[in-house]
Amino acid sequence: MPKYSTDFTTQEMIVVAGSRTLPDNKVIFAGTGLPMVAITLAQLTHGPGIVPVFEAGAVGPSLSCGLPLSVGDSRTTYKANYLLGLNSAFELTQRGFADYGFIGGAEIDPYGNLNSTMMGSFPDGYQKPKTRLPGSGGASDMACSCERTIIIMVHEPRRFNEKISYITSPGYLDGSPNARWRAGHAGQGPERVITTKAILGFDDDTKRMKLIATLPGETVKSIQEATGFELVIPNDVYEFEPPTVEEIRLIREVIDPQGYFVKKKIKE
Amino acid sequence: MIEWTGLSPDEARQFLANKDKSKRDKRMSLKDAVQKYVKDGDNIGIAGFVNGRQPIAIVHEIIRQGRKDLCLSYQSAGLAIEYLAGAMILDESKNSIKRMELAYWAHEAFGISPLLRYFSENGIVELEDWSNYNMSARFKAGSMGLPFIPCRSPLGSDMLQRNRATVMDCPFTGRPIMLLPASHPNVALVHVQEADIYGNCRIQGPLYTCPEIAMASAHIIVTCDRLIEHEDMVRYPNRVSIPFFSVDAVIEVPFGAYPGNSHGLYYFDEKHIPEFRGACEKARKGDLTALKEYYDNYIFGVENTAEFINKLPLSQIQHVQKAESGIRLDAAYTVLG
Repeated sequence: MPKYSTDFTTQEMIVVAGSRTLPDNKVIFAGTGLPMVAITLAQLTHGPGIVPVFEAGAVGPSLSCGLPLSVGDSRTTYKANYLLGLNSAFELTQRGFADYGFIGGAEIDPYGNLNSTMMGSFPDGYQKPKTRLPGSGGASDMACSCERTIIIMVHEPRRFNEKISYITSPGYLDGSPNARWRAGHAGQGPERVITTKAILGFDDDTKRMKLIATLPGETVKSIQEATGFELVIPNDVYEFEPPTVEEIRLIREVIDPQGYFVKKKIKE
Repeated sequence: MIEWTGLSPDEARQFLANKDKSKRDKRMSLKDAVQKYVKDGDNIGIAGFVNGRQPIAIVHEIIRQGRKDLCLSYQSAGLAIEYLAGAMILDESKNSIKRMELAYWAHEAFGISPLLRYFSENGIVELEDWSNYNMSARFKAGSMGLPFIPCRSPLGSDMLQRNRATVMDCPFTGRPIMLLPASHPNVALVHVQEADIYGNCRIQGPLYTCPEIAMASAHIIVTCDRLIEHEDMVRYPNRVSIPFFSVDAVIEVPFGAYPGNSHGLYYFDEKHIPEFRGACEKARKGDLTALKEYYDNYIFGVENTAEFINKLPLSQIQHVQKAESGIRLDAAYTVLG
């Protein structure tokens, strides 16, 4: 049997990429949607020691009771090591117990600031936006106070903009030196952006988004064309390893057989 | 000074100082509880989290009676708000929401909230955006009897331009910190798995922000899936999530959080939620037929939650119970006769 899958969707690819990015034995505070699927896959593959935290209260559950449909549902609590509520979960992030926050968003800028509140003009158009999104939830809290942030989102030009409508979850703010420290943040900011096309990071000096790896079927050019701002392109961009047959099987048969989060086109 | 929605911290303190805190039988009908404790113009604290333990039975009763100019306060909510919003779209003269203080309104895996889009994109409801931790910490400040609480997030977010938080330099470290005003709703709507007749509540699974919302509010209506013997409640005193003297009314409503999840008892109804959400999506696009049919059938056409559940096939109810298998209720109880 071949090692790599030749039949996978972009949604499955992004879950695999997200999963592989999560280090084992770390405390990972996971947002709803793709982060939940990716963290489940990681727990079943290279990361049995991952400690998931869900904002509704569950700490360190085993995600083997079925894919949670909400970060607050019963399945997030199966064999959890600790379980209180939202305040206790977010207090953990402020204290420094959460190594990574794992979040999504609808729109992102070069400094990793995310929008999940509204599209349109701000602040004038706030009470009557062009499109209203669900709102921050806990994403902005994770972005500020988890030690590092991993962002996962669909890669489309309209979602990657030099200037976004509204900063919900702060990244490196305006990119100026020590911007996060000066703003009062406890955590260090975004480390990776996992998309349907690429693995991205941030330039150490300018804090602008840089390309790290291309996902199967993509090129540096196709990724830059799908990005509404100029990416930093270093010399060592590499091709990301395709999903394995086993990873795709786990997503389809074990993790999300109904296709709640995977295969469904993400629409905001 | 800010403009307080609900009670100001000093009003909340005074209110509680004068409250009857006796340990008395607080059972009453849901109709009477809503009649007595939910008023037009109230700031209502909605407990639960997204579609977990949302106070659906209480909200359906509010809709049947009709309440206007409400301010809704919550961290993340789904169905409870969607039901109130749907009632407003169908007949604004009977039910209306004026303002929401929120972090998130959608349904996670089941999709975005159609009526949040409708309300905000048409400028119908005033919104104040916060994060989940912000709203939780605001209730916590209220429950602590403090006028504000410091918080590290989301500093640098545009939310700060649109809410009443303030940023100051910490007097001890010199670094910026956010200060959030306490939230004291006029009434909290809470659904739990187990309560006794005095109002002691034992929450199974995640607590969400239910204890804080309850302790911060002036009045509290509790619905429970099971009313249990007081002796069984006090056998585990450190498992009492909400103490009796904060509660005004206790109503046993099995499936009171349906079609949402009540940990250990029933999972989301993966058929019914999309059915309701689909009707809301049609309403957003201008066609109210399906939504009106839904309300006439499941809310206005019934007297209470038992009649609502009776309209559904038994197999569907059994399915949501079965889907909760493997999730244990972690304290034994005797069901009250």
